[in-house]
Amino acid sequence: MTEVQEQQKLHADPHDEPVREALVLGSPTLRDVTARIASIVESKITAKYLLTLMVTASMAGWGLVALGYTIFVGIGVWGLNNPVGWGWDITNFVFWIGIGHAGTLISAILYLFRQKWRTAINRSAEAMTIFAVLCAMTMVLSHTGRPWLFYWLLPYPNQMQMWVNFRSPLMWDVFAVNTYFTVSLMFWFIGLIPDLATLRNYVKSKIAKTVYGILSLGWTGSNRSWHHYEIAYMILAGISTPLVLSVHSVVSMDFTVGIMPGWHTTIFPPYFVAGAIFSGFAMVMTLLLIVREVLDLKQFITLKHLDNMNRIMLATGMMVGYAYSMEMFIAWYSGNPWEKWVFINRAFGDYAWAYWTMVTCNVVSPQVFWFKKIRRSIPVMFVISIFINIGMWFERFTIIATSLHHDFLPASWGYYSPTWVEISIFVGTFGIFLTLFLLFAKFVPVIAISEVKGILPGSQPKHGSHTEGHA
Amino acid sequence: MSDRKLNSSSTKQWKSIEHLAGSVQDSEQEFSSVQQTAPLIDSPVSRRGFMTVMSASMALTAVACRRPEQKLISSVKSHQTAIPGTSIDYATVYSHRNVAYGALVKSREGRPIKVKGNEQHSTNVGTTSAEMQASLLSLYDPDRIRRPRVNRGATSTDNATQKIADGIAEAQANGKKAIVFVSEHCSPSYSKLMGEISTQNSTIEFVTLPSIICDNAAVANKAMFGLDGEFALDLSQAKVVVSVDSDVLGTDKLALLYTRQWATQRSPTGTSAEISKWIMVESQYSLTGANADERVKLHPSQLEPFLAVIEQEIVGSNAVGGSIVGAATAETTSQAKRAAGELKAQSGEAVVLAGRHLSPLANAISLSINNTLGCVGAGRIVDPQNEIPNSGQKSTAVSAAIEMMKSGNVHVVLFADVNPEYSASKEFRNAVAKVPVRAAVNLYEDETADASICSVSIPSAHWLESWGDAISVHGEYSIQQPLIAPLNEGVPSLQDTLISIAKKLSPEFLADTENYYSYVMKNAVEYAAGLDTDAAKAWSKLLTNGVVKSAPRGSYVFNAAGTSALEGSKTSNSMQLQINPSIALYDGKYANNSWLQELPDPVTKITWDNVALMSANTAVSIGVAATKSAKDLAKANEKVVTISTKNGEINLPVYVQVGMADNVIATAVGYGRTAGGRVLMGVGSNCFGVAQSSNSLAFVAISSVKVVEGALHKIATTQNHHTLDDGNGERPIAKWLSAADFKNKKFVGLEEEFPNTGNDGKYLKPLSVNPGYEYKGHRWGMTIDMSSCTGCSSCIIACQSENNIPTVGKEQVILGREMHWIRLDRYYVGDMENPASIMEPMLCQHCENASCENVCPVAATTHSPEGLNEMTYNRCVGTRYCLNNCAYKVRRFNFLNYDTDKRAPLDMVFNPDVTVRMRGIMEKCTFCVQRLHEAKWHAQDDGRARINDGEAITACQEACPAGAIIFGDMNDKDSRVSKARMGDRGFRVLSELNVRPSITYLAKVRNANITSSGVTEEHASSDHHS
Repeated sequence: MTEVQEQQKLHADPHDEPVREALVLGSPTLRDVTARIASIVESKITAKYLLTLMVTASMAGWGLVALGYTIFVGIGVWGLNNPVGWGWDITNFVFWIGIGHAGTLISAILYLFRQKWRTAINRSAEAMTIFAVLCAMTMVLSHTGRPWLFYWLLPYPNQMQMWVNFRSPLMWDVFAVNTYFTVSLMFWFIGLIPDLATLRNYVKSKIAKTVYGILSLGWTGSNRSWHHYEIAYMILAGISTPLVLSVHSVVSMDFTVGIMPGWHTTIFPPYFVAGAIFSGFAMVMTLLLIVREVLDLKQFITLKHLDNMNRIMLATGMMVGYAYSMEMFIAWYSGNPWEKWVFINRAFGDYAWAYWTMVTCNVVSPQVFWFKKIRRSIPVMFVISIFINIGMWFERFTIIATSLHHDFLPASWGYYSPTWVEISIFVGTFGIFLTLFLLFAKFVPVIAISEVKGILPGSQPKHGSHTEGHA
Repeated sequence: MSDRKLNSSSTKQWKSIEHLAGSVQDSEQEFSSVQQTAPLIDSPVSRRGFMTVMSASMALTAVACRRPEQKLISSVKSHQTAIPGTSIDYATVYSHRNVAYGALVKSREGRPIKVKGNEQHSTNVGTTSAEMQASLLSLYDPDRIRRPRVNRGATSTDNATQKIADGIAEAQANGKKAIVFVSEHCSPSYSKLMGEISTQNSTIEFVTLPSIICDNAAVANKAMFGLDGEFALDLSQAKVVVSVDSDVLGTDKLALLYTRQWATQRSPTGTSAEISKWIMVESQYSLTGANADERVKLHPSQLEPFLAVIEQEIVGSNAVGGSIVGAATAETTSQAKRAAGELKAQSGEAVVLAGRHLSPLANAISLSINNTLGCVGAGRIVDPQNEIPNSGQKSTAVSAAIEMMKSGNVHVVLFADVNPEYSASKEFRNAVAKVPVRAAVNLYEDETADASICSVSIPSAHWLESWGDAISVHGEYSIQQPLIAPLNEGVPSLQDTLISIAKKLSPEFLADTENYYSYVMKNAVEYAAGLDTDAAKAWSKLLTNGVVKSAPRGSYVFNAAGTSALEGSKTSNSMQLQINPSIALYDGKYANNSWLQELPDPVTKITWDNVALMSANTAVSIGVAATKSAKDLAKANEKVVTISTKNGEINLPVYVQVGMADNVIATAVGYGRTAGGRVLMGVGSNCFGVAQSSNSLAFVAISSVKVVEGALHKIATTQNHHTLDDGNGERPIAKWLSAADFKNKKFVGLEEEFPNTGNDGKYLKPLSVNPGYEYKGHRWGMTIDMSSCTGCSSCIIACQSENNIPTVGKEQVILGREMHWIRLDRYYVGDMENPASIMEPMLCQHCENASCENVCPVAATTHSPEGLNEMTYNRCVGTRYCLNNCAYKVRRFNFLNYDTDKRAPLDMVFNPDVTVRMRGIMEKCTFCVQRLHEAKWHAQDDGRARINDGEAITACQEACPAGAIIFGDMNDKDSRVSKARMGDRGFRVLSELNVRPSITYLAKVRNANITSSGVTEEHASSDHHS
């Protein structure tokens, strides 16, 4: 946004298209674009890919074993205890839900704001959203004491004549997350249809052709198809947009509705949304940097894209930092002794290490993005993006564990540390996430072919006299 | 209509057989209304018509589609007294060593499921101790001995007793002795039986062998009163109590009685604001010390001089303790003089207690002081008539037995319900090794009954399986009725085994008595005679009531001259080891009882362990802590030290305890058992070995304390070292007042503070847009008096027993997953060198505006129309959200299957009225909802719509010896709970959160000489935060 405005200021002529950095490098032709992206699907599976897939699949497998063990024996195999009823389970849930946010933001909000630079990254960000929400759902389903009764959380007519409790924020979570998942999946899939059709036409293997054929739902590329497609895409973008705000607001209400000092604060909804976008972008960044390198997509995912993302991270990082300081200030200003104690305990108590890890990663580390040079330095942004991921995980852990372990009555205080099972499950969710992402990167166009074509130089209709000016 | 035939009605709808038979008069009208509406179908469909047709068709469906009601009645052949689903209480008696407590045992379908107190028994008056409750679990213990054993093979009881009888016969033939070591008891029939057996056969000698031999009090009483024994006090008359290391509210055998007596003086109200004053003088931090108004912490060497100084102050020239008064330091002297002043001020209603383990002289000094204070005599505080049965001196007999065994004059030893291999001195154990025939009769195959010691081991029946009797300290006689036939079929009671041995030796012995049952019955005649002229009726009345007052006992006259030969203690001022009985396990007899093992010590909150308790200074001086900073002290905990005394050495984990005197390490016996079940294995260390050579528990000089490098021993506490003053502003949670403030009606800090819309009695109605629920019927509530609660913990076990609460084991306690629905929060207040404690029982508060209820996604926890916060186990999916959102953290999550994997027959202990919870489910206090339901059924049977006050009481209230818990209907203005709730001291914990708890706490009143400007002021200012 800011860049657009800056650029616009430079150009006095309002009809003049501002001079922007090219979003696709090397002026490829339409055919080049198709060939470049589709070739990833068509190319042979390399040993390196298989090896990576095996590693991630093993992580996922190990996590599922740990999950099975938990379900078979009981939540007791985790480190949870009496004051601390939630630990890594809900931390991971909020973490993964947060990761998902960047996808929706990039695909829906940036779409509605006509941010063309999103085209290079939206596909993988959306995929990431879906996979992250899957991981989150795994966590939230398995964290219950009797996960085989998960369907009791759904309002359905039953012989028990029991209805769910709509006053419970966990109930709202069920709706928010399910809606989010469904809409995100539809949005992603609708966006994929033209590209799947392209692949259908491009691939040689009969099986692949059939599969892509079915998935492309008989896409013909006719004007009518495009017309409907654009409308559907726009509507879904419209539906998705409020979800970016609502999902994490609802998740934050799991805490704000509670009466625990450290949870019961009104700042949470905006603070969680900012944090979610922050962590989501960090995760997109981490993955994109790898994809860009491995699949050699530097042509499409340019430094400009990365620069923009770093700016967003800087902004949201500061929002999160503001939230941290506001929490502290209000704890002091409120004069509420419980609240005060919880925040002092956060910063200097048993979990101070977690708190300061969070502050360092989330508030301090993104500050380097004030410098353009650093915003465009691949190794630095890679490291910072990982820092942010770590920091945002600790943010959730800090909120959950430190608020619970020392609450109102000192007699019931305790300390929580995870067991190998919880750690394995967390590793497992990463395994699931990365495995799905690898499969996605191989079998689905990682970059929205049709959309990229739309932003190639000269692809947009222009007013006659200016067409040649900026060819 | 009555003659309507089946075929004539075949075209009509019928509801039931009754309809067909015409017994229901209005049936024709119902049908006709259906027929009248039917023609409407032909008319054009109007709204009304449509509605009518719809409702008519609904009615048709209702009448047409039901099966005829045909009631089935099962054939129930009930036992004469047992009605399935209904419980029956049987009166019996529980003997805690030689102290009898009246019991009522609840039986369902013929199995005992709960031990309650017998209200007619004056020692406990319906209340119960933790051990008494928990002994029920031992009944169903799968680790009990099932079959008799000779050498290493199982055999019949007959063979095993024959083997012992043969041994005794052989002894008789060789002119040697057979010694039967028996445990402390209070049974007149048992005493008589032993007397008769040894009269019949002089070879057999009975020696009482308590695990803890402590004659000092008996020696002093003998000297001063001519009474060889101990007696119970009446502390309910005492306005001032100065206790010198006498833990009357904690480890004392009579703690249940004393707690009840203490409570009568500790619950001030607006109309009677006076409370008693307790001053505890001790080296450790005992439960009595924790509850005392003032504590004087002294090194063990100063305890007896302290008594001597008091005596000098009060008795003057006739003082008997002149020899030790000189040992008092200046501080001891000044403190003792102050205590003497307090005593003198309440002369006649003041008493000095000396710990049983203190020297005979010290015990004599206390009697001398009490005599001068005027509290000795019949019906007074110190009344030797209230003699504890069989409490005379025992060490002489035990020493003689040791000598006899050493000399080889003993051919047979029989250990009857004693475990000397665990508790006795090395000398004793070496002497036993010289006896050729060794046998044991016991509940468990413990250290002594083990094949390595005893060639014969015979199981004995549990007290709930055997007949017996007991006499109480107040001279009440009770019959011990069995509740169930021995679970291990054919296992005889200990006394029956003794009878059968005696009969094998001489068949004419007790020829007219078949077994111990008839023996007891015969003996009871003497006591029951007054109940009815007919012996059979008198016996049945005795069993029904459970108690009969026996003839008054002899009186004793104080005689100061008797003290000349008494010795004072030789405790030096070096580092001392103090060894106490454990509050939960006492001497370890019930160490295989997981309820008791997991019962947190009321002061330290440690479960499943005995530890080395020491002050911060001591920790620094022995080198486990670098400095006295909280961090270093926390690191010192769990380090292992080797403590050496002249009797040996022991490894114990360190636990720094506030309020202890320096240069003292305190620990407990009862742990470190090595045989006798699976639960007790590997729990703690046996401290009997390092105690004095005779197994009296007193102070032992420590020769050295060495830190075991690198060793850490995990200690499972249920509460960490948290105090009220955590350094970040005092938390107004466990509120207290000084006695002076209470008298002056300064109830600072008890009022609630939030925007309100008027008063609801004493309490504010918070501002709300919601008018709130109106409780029309009952509205259950509770009050807990923190002033009389001592923290004795019997409520915890009562709740555990009533509500099928699982034990989780040490590892799970370390993880913080203990399941007790009621916990006793202990907070320290004041100077951390010598703090006072406040006990705050914490259980589900049944909040009206419960924070747990709205967050449950599946509505598994909801509010009842009677104000209960209900937990529906079946519906719970286990999100644990309610636990997180509970401000009191009283919800308990079943992290694993704690209770469903019980070894048979442990599952028989379950209360059938309460669901056993599987893993993944949340649970918590229900206010004993099953008891409420039962009371409602009874009320219904009586044609009442409401339960009367006192008809439904919770298990914790029932057990509480202090009467600190009152449960009842808050809608009934005359109920006890309503009145208590509106009292001056009432407050609600965390009321500022507007969760509106249904439990009202009554603030603790401390009768300390706290200047109102001092602690009270500080307290007031801290409350301002709320």
